[in-house]
Amino acid sequence: MRRLRILLAAAAAAAVAALAAAAVPAAAQTPATPPPATMVPGVLTVGLNLPSDGFQVGAVSGTTVTFARGLEVGLAAAVGRRMGLPVQFVNVPVFSDIVAPGPKPFDLALAQVSITSGRKQNVDFSAAYLDVDQGVLLRRGLGTTPTTLAKLKPLQLCVLQKSTGAAVVASRVKPAKPARTYPGVTALFQGLETGRCDAVVYDAPTLAVLAAEVPLRVGSMAGVIATGERYGAVLPDGSPLVKTVNTVVRGLIADGTVARLQAKWLNVNLTTLKTLS
Amino acid sequence: MTHPWRALVACIAVLSALVWTASAAAATKVSFVQGEQNVFVTRPGDGLQSALQSLLAGPTAAERKTQIRTYIAPSTPVLSVTQQGAVATVDLGDTFVAGNNADTLNARLSQLVATVTAVPGVTSVQVLIDGGVPLGLFPGIDATGPLTVAKLRTPSVAPPPNPVTPSGPVTGGTKAAQQRLADLGYLLPGDADGRLGPATTAAVIAFQKWEGLQRDGVLGPKTLAALGRANRPTPITQGGSGRRLEVLVDKQLALAIQDNRVVRALHVSSGKPSTPTPIGSFKVYAQYPRWWSTPFQEWLLWASPFVGGVATHQYPDVPVYAASHGCVRVPAPNAPWLYRFLSVGDPVRVLATS
Repeated sequence: MRRLRILLAAAAAAAVAALAAAAVPAAAQTPATPPPATMVPGVLTVGLNLPSDGFQVGAVSGTTVTFARGLEVGLAAAVGRRMGLPVQFVNVPVFSDIVAPGPKPFDLALAQVSITSGRKQNVDFSAAYLDVDQGVLLRRGLGTTPTTLAKLKPLQLCVLQKSTGAAVVASRVKPAKPARTYPGVTALFQGLETGRCDAVVYDAPTLAVLAAEVPLRVGSMAGVIATGERYGAVLPDGSPLVKTVNTVVRGLIADGTVARLQAKWLNVNLTTLKTLS
Repeated sequence: MTHPWRALVACIAVLSALVWTASAAAATKVSFVQGEQNVFVTRPGDGLQSALQSLLAGPTAAERKTQIRTYIAPSTPVLSVTQQGAVATVDLGDTFVAGNNADTLNARLSQLVATVTAVPGVTSVQVLIDGGVPLGLFPGIDATGPLTVAKLRTPSVAPPPNPVTPSGPVTGGTKAAQQRLADLGYLLPGDADGRLGPATTAAVIAFQKWEGLQRDGVLGPKTLAALGRANRPTPITQGGSGRRLEVLVDKQLALAIQDNRVVRALHVSSGKPSTPTPIGSFKVYAQYPRWWSTPFQEWLLWASPFVGGVATHQYPDVPVYAASHGCVRVPAPNAPWLYRFLSVGDPVRVLATS
């Protein structure tokens, strides 16, 4: 079925090219661009990992995304428009599956994935669309706000399993009590809201969105731990779309689309936060 | 001689009368929001579909006058409604989660869950959006499985911390001004300690509100000058002996009155223009030291509700203007005092102009 569609598309492209060749002088001739080689022809399949405040929230039936909104949802739509393709979302319930080796159910995935050399061995990344550091969000009523990494040591810290935050806490904060690890962000934030955690170390934009969205449920942002991470779109290893997606992402940064999406969905100013060291 | 068709007509008439009586008697409970809580109203009809249609239709004009409101858009598509055992599944179009305001999203969910589970035989509801299970759409609420009212009524946040006590330096000038504020009924005598802090700031704002000064909470030259020549506030309305409360919406001030004398004048923030505090005469009908707001998933401490979900209560953020969902927010230093001053049955009069 898929092979047939590709053949038909190729035949159509050849016909268009032949017509073009007949109609215009050779000097002005441009080869007809073949449609991007996507997993499902004619559609850009975008992987998500719902939910994440500000970036992507929605509704799923199995892995089918029936409704979604957020920065990365808007970004996917913009990428699709640039590539001339409608976007179909697919939810990947387990985050680590996105960056694991092996075949993927998407052409590209947007899920706040930091570009790391380790992950690059399994998957390809697009150009970065967002610079991020790790944030430290306190529980409500903690009392004094820690101003250095050393002052985080005595606190009950909480992190997401296998996240950058978990790595940063282990290598740079070295807390007195082991950090509590949670399998998902919903449980992680509930730990903070119910007071089981003194502070959560997680991607700063997400924490800042949470603090702005539900100010009475959480405390303040103590600051950020500089890690210099960058979010990129994940593509299957060796994807033929990497070049195209890179061009599109750079174009969306250059024309201000990404900045507009940030202002709309994150609506937080991270530059005013203290860098903890 | 009887014709068979006459008997048939009579039969139909009796039957339709029976059906009519049954449907007139059937009533369904629908959940809206008043102040900080869900309130039920009754509508004719029975069953899930009927309850949902009444929910989407919203409050009547008369109900709206008492500030009963809905957060659910009447245009929300109901895609399907099914029931298996005691679990109802309601599939709604994404209009239900339009907008990005945490408060109103959770309020919509609370109305839906309360209404659907009020239908006899239904104890929980699985909400679907465009056929999918919601993920992250209702902040702080895990809506991936069937929801009950009991779950939404269970606090999901630790109670707010106690307010910090002032630790600034003691100054003679501050103490004199505080003493004057206490003499006029704006500050508790025990808070005249010479240190600036939240209690003094709230008292200064209350004073500035009564005197029509700029509401900055600072003991500046104009405020100090006015303090020198001011009198204790007086009640706006006459009442009997005993304790009562006047809420002056135009001044954003509450007067705690005993035997027609203002015991204390308190800085408060009432309902914002879109959700105003209902005007009228009410009575404190309950008192809760800790009241969990089901629609907004937040704590209200030292709450004295006087109509539906509308109460005087402590709140961490009490701006100098009307900002609440209809309640009367009281700053932390004054809330326990007001809670103890009031008792169930005490009159509360909300006045639009003073």
